Amino acid sequence: MARYFENCAGELASDALSGFARAHADLVGYDAADGFVTALHTAPARTVGLLSGGGAGHEPLHAGYVGAGMLDAACPGRIFASPHNRQIFRASLAVARPEGVLHVVKNYTGDRINFGIAAERLADAGVACGRVLVDDDLASDSEEIAAGRRGTGATLLVEKVLGGAADRGMGLGGLVDLGTSVAARCRTLAVASAAHHAPADGEPAFALPPGELEYGVGIHGERADRTRSWQPLGALVEDMVGALLDALRPGPEEPVVALVNGLGAVTSLELYGIFGELDRVLEARRVRLVRHLVGNYVTALDMRGFSLTLMVADRVVLDFYDAPVRTPALSW
Amino acid sequence: MAHAAFDGIQTLAWMRDFTQSVYATEAELTALDQRAGDGDFGANLAAGVRASGLRCDRMEGPTGPAETLGAMADAFLDEIGGTSGPLFGLLFQALSRAAAGSGPDLTTASLAEGAARGLAAIRRVGDASPGDKTLVDALAPAAAALLATKDSPPAEALAGAAEAAWEGVRDTASLTARMGRASYLGQRATGIPDPGAVGVALLFASAGGTVDTLAHHVIIG
Repeated sequence: MARYFENCAGELASDALSGFARAHADLVGYDAADGFVTALHTAPARTVGLLSGGGAGHEPLHAGYVGAGMLDAACPGRIFASPHNRQIFRASLAVARPEGVLHVVKNYTGDRINFGIAAERLADAGVACGRVLVDDDLASDSEEIAAGRRGTGATLLVEKVLGGAADRGMGLGGLVDLGTSVAARCRTLAVASAAHHAPADGEPAFALPPGELEYGVGIHGERADRTRSWQPLGALVEDMVGALLDALRPGPEEPVVALVNGLGAVTSLELYGIFGELDRVLEARRVRLVRHLVGNYVTALDMRGFSLTLMVADRVVLDFYDAPVRTPALSW
Repeated sequence: MAHAAFDGIQTLAWMRDFTQSVYATEAELTALDQRAGDGDFGANLAAGVRASGLRCDRMEGPTGPAETLGAMADAFLDEIGGTSGPLFGLLFQALSRAAAGSGPDLTTASLAEGAARGLAAIRRVGDASPGDKTLVDALAPAAAALLATKDSPPAEALAGAAEAAWEGVRDTASLTARMGRASYLGQRATGIPDPGAVGVALLFASAGGTVDTLAHHVIIG
């Protein structure tokens, strides 16, 4: 059992959003009534507002990426539950620009429906609205899964690239095409050695015998489709990278961006060890790794696991990725 | 003689009868949804009409059909959790938009246009087709019936739409769900009509007065 530090059960997500807004009052504004945060400083050249959202429990995603150079607004739902269409609709109205608003949506049924309802309301209100769907999770890439691949770690990379492009004044259609093509060239694979603990009762979401690991977990505590025996880190990373490269098949000259992401309860010590293995494997396979991030960016409460994301870029995408950003969770 | 269009008072009366129909059948809807979904549909629909009634009561002065339907839309979209409540909100939004475009009174032609647009919006959002055992299975035949009778007075056309919707509801009983909560139950929900589709039929049927029970329209088993 692992008890959460919270005022009262069920209020953790909204209390955290309120505290987040107070902690970063120099960067974000907060609408308590409709549950969303907005960027205080954004590029005047932007013609489209960028918005994302999804269940809480993945911090710093999404609110952490609201600010100059990235999202104009984020609306979190309750823990692992989609935001209400009202939050998305009101946040969209708050940040819409002359060319409208772009929704970055992780591929989950609830998120798709609620963002879809908000999009219909925006159309009725005369506000143009586009969508980029992020579906990078390799483990859910199966013809048997009608809902398609889940959206996970790549969300952060897609949001960063789109933020850079929006700051140069790119219009709604251009951003939808760019985001869709970037998302299509991202894949993620995640493993866990222990489940997250459910906030309601502090119990682990699933039990895993010692010496085994879940290979292909999502970010909501759902089990992977297979359990594997523990293996040395180098061999594990080699397997994961091999699967990602098989799916992406980057050309020898194509630049690749990597995200080594903790799922909540893995130490920085381990994450850097994992990056070391990743770098070694990519070098041996002659993959041109040009940028990397190492840390907790897209989490799953306190799951003891990590994900590896690879994004195959080009000069244009890399240029948008490199553009300045200043948000609570990402800055350069 | 039947009126050629619904004025504000008639539209409000239709929505009040829909509200009473939902209250009268809430327990039956809940029982259905406990067998074919997660059991909250009756409560969500009741919360929607309750919130709508409060909004309608707050409106001042004479209100036209577009304002009443718009209040229904805002209540269902803003105040109801889950997904089926807000999807009803999209139907009311489309009906309100069509009503606003057709002058002060609600014609059958604008009802047909609103139902078709609402159906299109719901299908886009939910990625649902006829036959997936969702509210689309009642709304699609109702919208088609309205279009086919668009030159008839609204009371008559809505009665036909209700008949088509109930027929669609009965057909959902033999379907296996592909979308929504019922999809997790697979074959186990077969034989049970879709609660969302029942809600759509209640809406159209209430134009002819309050529906006191589902027993005359569907076999709940």
